[in-house]
Amino acid sequence: MRIPLRRLGVYFVAFLFAIVMNFTVPRLMPGSPVDGMIAQLGPRATPAAIEAIKARFGAVEQPILGQFVDYITGLARLDLGVSVKYYPQTVTQVLARSAGWTAFLVTTAIIFSLCVGVSLGAVAAWRRGGRFDAFVSPFSVVLIAIPPVIIGLATLFTFGVTLRWFPVGYAYNPDLDPGLNFTFFGSVFWHAVMPVLTLSPYLIGEFQTTMRSSMISVLGEDYVTMGRAKGLGETAVMFSYAARNAMLPVLTNLALMLGAVFGGSIVTEIVFNYPGLGLTLFTASVARDYPVIQGQLLLMTMATLGANLLVDILYGVVDPRIREERA
Amino acid sequence: MNFGWQLLWRQKKAVAGLIIVTALCLMALFAPILAPTDPGERVGRSHQPPTVEHYFGTTKMGRDVYAQFVWGARPSLAVGFATGLFITALGTIIGLVAGYFGGRTDATLDLITNAVLVIPNIPLLILLASFAGTVGPVAIMLIIALTSWPWGARMTRSQTMALRNREFVTAARMVGEPAWRIIFVEILPNLVPLIGINIVGSIIYAIVAQTTLEYLGFGDPLNVTWGTMLYNAQNSSAIIVGAWWDISAPAAGIALVGLGLALLNFTFDEIANPQLRSGPALSRWLRLSRLRKRELEAAR
Repeated sequence: MRIPLRRLGVYFVAFLFAIVMNFTVPRLMPGSPVDGMIAQLGPRATPAAIEAIKARFGAVEQPILGQFVDYITGLARLDLGVSVKYYPQTVTQVLARSAGWTAFLVTTAIIFSLCVGVSLGAVAAWRRGGRFDAFVSPFSVVLIAIPPVIIGLATLFTFGVTLRWFPVGYAYNPDLDPGLNFTFFGSVFWHAVMPVLTLSPYLIGEFQTTMRSSMISVLGEDYVTMGRAKGLGETAVMFSYAARNAMLPVLTNLALMLGAVFGGSIVTEIVFNYPGLGLTLFTASVARDYPVIQGQLLLMTMATLGANLLVDILYGVVDPRIREERA
Repeated sequence: MNFGWQLLWRQKKAVAGLIIVTALCLMALFAPILAPTDPGERVGRSHQPPTVEHYFGTTKMGRDVYAQFVWGARPSLAVGFATGLFITALGTIIGLVAGYFGGRTDATLDLITNAVLVIPNIPLLILLASFAGTVGPVAIMLIIALTSWPWGARMTRSQTMALRNREFVTAARMVGEPAWRIIFVEILPNLVPLIGINIVGSIIYAIVAQTTLEYLGFGDPLNVTWGTMLYNAQNSSAIIVGAWWDISAPAAGIALVGLGLALLNFTFDEIANPQLRSGPALSRWLRLSRLRKRELEAAR
């Protein structure tokens, strides 16, 4: 399994870009953020903490290149600095607490939307021009255009506040002790329903649109005609001949969309008071907790790059033509 | 051009989209006539439900939601449209240059495009916005545009590469036209449908991103926009106390713009890419071919 060096180069540049942004933006801003952060710490500002913040945000007597080298070596040791709001906790600790919930939310939403969106796209392409297609396909484009904030607030108001079907906050019932039992899992599931339903429409719309157009081009291929010529049933040709191959562009799109999904999850978590990265980021941004804001950018960039790399590898496994080319 | 309009007019979806977007733009334009009240003025008690005096009720601070809705359309739409145009301009220029020149220029630009494409946008926006403090409309526009041009650049690049070796471009090169003239006069007009799709898509994205940033509290809270209305409503826990009008007015505005633009974009897509068409013409053709097949089978 080989991934072209070019792709790795892209990921390297993207990661470097995120690091350079983190490094330069606070140094370029008028009015040093350092004083604000030290004021924020208040009585907790030990000399060690002040020193750490100053070093990270460039308020030290050192040439800029030396600062950058220090910054990179710090990152290599997974040292993202200390949180201003949750001092003395480090940024790594703060992010680790909430990253799991975001990963759970995003993964569930992606799997759910992938099933729904891909099936809708495949059927719409198969019955192109029919009544189903004429309704579902424009509707998907509309879904992409409506911000998650709006969907989240509407869901919260309808199902959370008015109908009271689902709980309106937290990842599980705070009275429960986290453990490996059904009550706890049930509670986690119940609390995730509304956030997942908020994240999904955008994804379903994207998957449906991509799947439909890629399926339409696949339907003209020889192997689909071959499947039909063999006398296979409609469903067999549709799913095991056409849809399987049409899935590839959906995979690429999925990896590229991950950044947007993270954006959606930030908003969703705030609307539903869900204890993931987004809510942490929101409290951090209200408190101007810059180290945490920087840490989450790095973490989300790494997650997106990881997913893209994974798709590159998967692509080779799924599509034999690419495997051949690279060999 | 005439043909294009006819094609557009025949599409019911596009007409509906155009009407929605135009209506909202007119509302923003005639805000002083439609809502003479100052959106920042306290006109009633806190969180009053809709009445004849205040069509959309009042906010927590006792301000008229209807006036805020009408006036808020101005910055929301202006920033959305301007940002969309800016994103498209950036993406188109970068894509054209990369696609036309090829070689090392293309390699560098393509690397940058792909790198910016994989960096998660909203977290990057939040980083930039949080260091800038509360940001005005121009800063929001710049921040959004600088992080979201790669989609357009990628599409434009691949189209330009396909056009680069066509006869009319070669001819222009032979005649000795300068590169900028070939790019902007010879190639650019062929990309008009693509640019149309790009503009509408970018405006949609810009409005989504702008709403998100303002909802997170990065907008100027004194500036009345749909995004800051949502932020203020959220802060005064409008949903929990049941003041649905406070949230639904700006939410409906944003959803309507999204709906209108999406309907337009769907039609643009169909015009530029006939393979994707799903309208009545296609179903008629499919029905005919099915009928013909049945007749053939019957004849056998």
